[in-house]
Amino acid sequence: MTAPNASEPAGTFYVKPAKIYPREAHGRFARLRVFAVLALLGLYYLTPWLDWGGRQAVLFDLPARKFYILGLAFWPQDFFFLALLLIIAAFSLFFFTALAGRLWCGYACPQTVWTETFMWIERWVEGDRGARMKLDKAPWDARKLRLKAGKHALWLLFAAWTGFTFVGFFTPIRELGVRLAGFALGPWELFWIVFYSFATWGNAGFMREQVCLYMCPYARFQSAMFDKNTLVISYDAERGEPRGSRKRGVDPRTRGLGDCIDCTLCVQVCPTGIDIRNGLQYQCIGCAACVDACDEVMDKIGSPRGLVRYTTENALLHHQPHVIRPRMLVYAALLLALTGGLVYAISVRTPLQLDVIRDRNALYRMTDDGLAENVYTLKILNMDEHPHRFALAVHGAPGMRLDAAADAIAVAAGEVLTLPVRVSADPQDLPAASSDIRFELRALDTPDLRTATTGRFLGPARR
Amino acid sequence: MTISKVQHAVSVLWPSFLLASAATVVLFTVFDPQAIAACMGIEHLERTAAYTVGFFVLWTMNLASSMLTLYFQRPVHVPVIVEPRDLDLD
Repeated sequence: MTAPNASEPAGTFYVKPAKIYPREAHGRFARLRVFAVLALLGLYYLTPWLDWGGRQAVLFDLPARKFYILGLAFWPQDFFFLALLLIIAAFSLFFFTALAGRLWCGYACPQTVWTETFMWIERWVEGDRGARMKLDKAPWDARKLRLKAGKHALWLLFAAWTGFTFVGFFTPIRELGVRLAGFALGPWELFWIVFYSFATWGNAGFMREQVCLYMCPYARFQSAMFDKNTLVISYDAERGEPRGSRKRGVDPRTRGLGDCIDCTLCVQVCPTGIDIRNGLQYQCIGCAACVDACDEVMDKIGSPRGLVRYTTENALLHHQPHVIRPRMLVYAALLLALTGGLVYAISVRTPLQLDVIRDRNALYRMTDDGLAENVYTLKILNMDEHPHRFALAVHGAPGMRLDAAADAIAVAAGEVLTLPVRVSADPQDLPAASSDIRFELRALDTPDLRTATTGRFLGPARR
Repeated sequence: MTISKVQHAVSVLWPSFLLASAATVVLFTVFDPQAIAACMGIEHLERTAAYTVGFFVLWTMNLASSMLTLYFQRPVHVPVIVEPRDLDLD
């Protein structure tokens, strides 16, 4: 699994990877991938155009430092949720890898999804595998120039739309569209549209399987999550070998042959150019194109399907396969706990924050009335989508007084209000020279919206 | 152990890109570039510009680090060991 493919010339200086011309596969898994590709691309290209409550439903508004997801607005202070979400994504990947191998790679990875789309365009313009290979070998003439130019024009157009959509996740897409149409894009918007388009064009048009082989960290470590019960695509060597061609209608057993007719279609359809019959290799992205190709051949020669199939190491060795195993239970439990935690944390999240900063210039001041006075700067952050009026209260020593007009502090939606306050207390009532003081803020119009922050109150040392 | 040219280039460019992306997110989540600019007396700074420049500065720094790693992986000369012998210099 981790060892390089035997067909890779070992010790050769600077192997130039041969260009791979994947043949089109037809069948169950090809249909499943088309479905996945269309669903995911639809999600990507349409999401920024959806509205929710008068604004873009999903908008990672970087210029304003706010993320909007449906009815929720996230602030940089909510970074915790993003971190939790990433951990959940990682555990989902572990869970599904242990269960069914590289499902992610074969059907859902953006690299697969966009490469698939770019190959559809390529096939539509240049033709099938044979035609493409012939075209690449042919000398440059008007036809080749036309086909190549046509392909790249379509690729670039699609890539440009992809780049535009990408930036549309970070800045309102409708306004971006208006600016694009009027040639009035900001320099940074334009830069990122071009950068992302170029990356799409390069990755899906040229790099393709090399991204999986050389760039993908997941491809390198996914085998660590595999065990003997993980679903992998495998060639049934016991049934297939010895391989060899035979005439139609000849029972292979009479010739001492297995079911594999050595048609090499499984190699031709492979997007990473490996031979699945050599066993499980890290280059295999689990796309099941070879399964489809082999099933088609088996149907034609009248042998049962599944010479290359989704199976497990245990099943191939005729051992009892186990779907439910400790590893799966641990991943599932962690995944459930984290997801539950995230949902709970978001549901009880208070879109209100109160920061208390003590005046650094003076420790405390004695007033004419003999009270110790501390000065604070409060920062009230209303992360809600509505304006609120708040009441502020302090708790600490008995008789502690707040001098600000603190019964109706108006804070607009998304505003950070800076509020200087003075708090005074009788030194006799202070429990120590430095004691806790609790600022409590509650919305007058929404009883649930409240928060509290503890600071320090300083006074004269007691004798 | 030799690797292909593509893999060579990728081993420098790609990890630095990935880490620069992550670092950009963390850096600008914690620090608002406009607030830093205000402290430095800069009146108008587009956040998008700061994010972009920040990302490329981080990528360049990571790139330098990856390249140095690759450079220091090159085999060095094994010193020739000379047997000491007694010399009578008089």
